[in-house]
Amino acid sequence: MSPAFEAFLAKIYVDADARNRFLNDPHTEAHRAGLTPAECAAAADIDRVGLAMAGASFEAKRRAHKRPQSWFERLAYFFGGRNRS
Amino acid sequence: MNDRFGISWRPELAAGVFSNQHRLDVVEVIADDYFDASRKEIDALRTLRTQLPIVLHGIKLGLASAAEADRTLLDKMARLVDLVEPDFWSEHLAFVRGGGIEIGHLAAPPRCSSTVDGARRNIRSAESVVGAKLLMENIATLIDPPGSDRSELEWICEILAASRCDLLLDLHNVHANSQNFGFDAADFIRRVPGKSIAAIHIAGGRWIGRAAQKRLLDDHLHDVPDAVFDLLEVAAECATRPLTVILERDGHYPPFDDLLGELERARTAVAKGRRMREVLNVTCV
Repeated sequence: MSPAFEAFLAKIYVDADARNRFLNDPHTEAHRAGLTPAECAAAADIDRVGLAMAGASFEAKRRAHKRPQSWFERLAYFFGGRNRS
Repeated sequence: MNDRFGISWRPELAAGVFSNQHRLDVVEVIADDYFDASRKEIDALRTLRTQLPIVLHGIKLGLASAAEADRTLLDKMARLVDLVEPDFWSEHLAFVRGGGIEIGHLAAPPRCSSTVDGARRNIRSAESVVGAKLLMENIATLIDPPGSDRSELEWICEILAASRCDLLLDLHNVHANSQNFGFDAADFIRRVPGKSIAAIHIAGGRWIGRAAQKRLLDDHLHDVPDAVFDLLEVAAECATRPLTVILERDGHYPPFDDLLGELERARTAVAKGRRMREVLNVTCV
């Protein structure tokens, strides 16, 4: 698998719209991303339950790691959980 | 063996760490938090270093990737390692970005030859730039990584052999993946080369999703489950070298005494595993 395949995975892990388009038509979206036939087949065979959970989990992590701006956000950040690894 | 036991450094735990130094052997600090730190913050870290040994833990390098590691981040890690002089530093067998998109957390790459090659190249580059001993950590994943043509165990063992680096074995990550994807966690640990296990993470997590499709999330927000202490015993049987065992906790903090209690359970589990190793003359890989 190429760096392009990792880039494709990063896109569908992060972008909910891209993820939904992909789940509706995996082959077309993978092909449109310029993946090889083998990579398109691998993408189409994706673990759909895991993809939904991973997408939600990554979104939650990004929100948690976002630098708090207001005093209220900083307070929430201080008392909230921040998974690091 | 001189196994060491410590905790992940979080500002919320600072008072507990400083008032219980005699019960801790080591502290693990998230390196990325200090990449752009002020002189004052670095001085604080170096003060901590005079009280307890430090190991640094990276989370943003994404070394297990077909793409090249970010040289700017490697340089920042190198600068921090120079300033802090940790016993060792560690990173993850994960990718964290692709095509300019930051995932924001650790993602499992396809387990295939291109990521084995990429990880080998990136690990060697990291060791060369940073110039200190690097350990690589197995990660937990909610998704079975697409594009894989080998098992997680085979993939990890190939990378360890190709890069000649040691393993930071995260037992909750093994536990979570074993629950989510159906393999025997103890058997997994017994088949990892015992001579490569240099450090261990223990943590807790929670189940997410509906009954038939639920998966175990490694969130570091809960107590270490019994299953992980059982795996720690197995790891101590198999590891041929002294271990650095770190308890990770990222929030929902209990009283510090509870965390010390978990570390005591870890000491007991490791001692039991070490005794078992002597008695049975264990033959792990």
